Amino acid sequence: MMEEPATTTAREDAATTEALVIHQAAVAYDGRTPVLEGIDGVVHAGESVALIGPNGAGKSTLLKAVLGLVPLVHGSITVLGRAPLGARRQVAYVPQADTLDQEFPVTAGQVVLMGRYPRVGWVRRPGRADRQVAAAALEEVGLADHGRERFGGLSGGQRQRVLLARAIAQRARLLLLDEPFNGIDALSEELLLAALGRMREAGAAVVVSTHDLALAHLFCDEVCLLNRHQFGFGPLATTLTPDLLRATYGGHALQLRGDSVILAQP
Amino acid sequence: MTHLLVEPFQVAFMQRALLAVLVLGVLAGAVGVFVVLRRLAFVGDALTHTVFPGVVVAFLIDQSIFLGALAAGLLSALLLTTLTSNRRVTPDAALAILLTSFFAVGVVLVSRVQSYTADLSAFLFGRILAVSWAELAQTLVVAVIVLATLVALRKELLLRAFDPDGAAAMGYRTGVLDLVLNVLIALVVVAAVRAVGTVLVIALIIVPAATARLLTDRVASMTALSCGLGALGGWLGLAISYDVSIERGVRLASGATVVVVLVAFFLVALAVGPGRRVLARALGGAAAAPSPPGAG
Repeated sequence: MMEEPATTTAREDAATTEALVIHQAAVAYDGRTPVLEGIDGVVHAGESVALIGPNGAGKSTLLKAVLGLVPLVHGSITVLGRAPLGARRQVAYVPQADTLDQEFPVTAGQVVLMGRYPRVGWVRRPGRADRQVAAAALEEVGLADHGRERFGGLSGGQRQRVLLARAIAQRARLLLLDEPFNGIDALSEELLLAALGRMREAGAAVVVSTHDLALAHLFCDEVCLLNRHQFGFGPLATTLTPDLLRATYGGHALQLRGDSVILAQP
Repeated sequence: MTHLLVEPFQVAFMQRALLAVLVLGVLAGAVGVFVVLRRLAFVGDALTHTVFPGVVVAFLIDQSIFLGALAAGLLSALLLTTLTSNRRVTPDAALAILLTSFFAVGVVLVSRVQSYTADLSAFLFGRILAVSWAELAQTLVVAVIVLATLVALRKELLLRAFDPDGAAAMGYRTGVLDLVLNVLIALVVVAAVRAVGTVLVIALIIVPAATARLLTDRVASMTALSCGLGALGGWLGLAISYDVSIERGVRLASGATVVVVLVAFFLVALAVGPGRRVLARALGGAAAAPSPPGAG
């Protein structure tokens, strides 16, 4: 009863290539004073976009707006051809692992299984098929043997991989990741990037907020430069330029040898 | 041991009291798991005070004290959920305002009644030995409703407790889930307040669950342990208070003895359980640092 319909209408098929369309959007927590304005861009199925900007620039707010959790005061956001609230079953949100209570008594396997809850539906227990999907998702991120371990007992990188596994178990077509690479080990980073790459090949669109320009270069087709409003949205080569970065970060951008930029985070 | 644990329960009023503490122990133990996981101990405490005006009004208009407490408990659960969903009212302030305003209304009303003192002390400290079959039946109905709701929504309540943003992102209405949990806590408070009194009811909810948390890292076993400890503590406490009061002639209040037994379980778990490890981590981390009640 909670599965998505097997057949889709022609109109939805046409919209699937456009996973996310943001048109002149402004968002405000209180519905009046925008904290983020002038957001404009399209993410197609299989594409990856990095949200880049300093702390407090509104990256997390933009992700929440795509989830329909923060109201728009201007413009529109269309997710897989629908309004954000209507598309949530198709969207997976991956929070920063550090924001979750490490003392909470759940295993890594239980956390991944949570990704199946919306499909399992009210009252019922997750079935064997759900457990198989969850186990396969854990394997995708290289944690097949850690399902029975306590979530909070894992390393930061492993916890972040568990949260990606939960998103994989959701079978979403649009992935939103909030700073997934912050302070994680090199192996976890590699495994996260590999798993995300496979999801993109399978047709998922990925939006990832990050501080790491090198990772954005490595993994993303496009970038969105944000600091209260949008400073640029487009292909890496034309958007991740020293001028635009300096504009986005204000005084915190530093230019080296003409084309490289190092960002000193406050 | 049989002398202590079985013999007191040959008289009818002790049998009713035993049934009441067993049902309340399981009920409070189950809800307590979510109260502890969500760090809502102070919410439970506040609800024990907010049922007070309901009890007084019921007394004044000569209605069932149970229904009065129920009405006040549900109203305060609703107001609490609404107030805390306002971003500009912090949860601890909302709790303090509700607790004091409801309690003050109760005090204003009760001060107009002359004959209330006996019932007031029953409200504060409970009268488990005077539980009637009708009251026991009410407690059972509340227990069935609360436990059925917990079983039906355990996935969703667990997800909301662990990852509120994730739950909202998956499309769950976290505000509704919060209201459901607050109402469940209110129901348990109402059901238990007559037995152990408003001062001690929060111990029934928090202590078994906190003890279970020290002993296990799994929610399922934590729930089983919490319910078992709640019921066992009720039985033992009742038996000890009977034994000491009747056999040794030193009067021990039953409700308070139950709470003392539960706290003894907690101290034992603290001393010997693998939980020392959990506790050490908790004390080491800022998340569990001593904070004003209601901060979590």
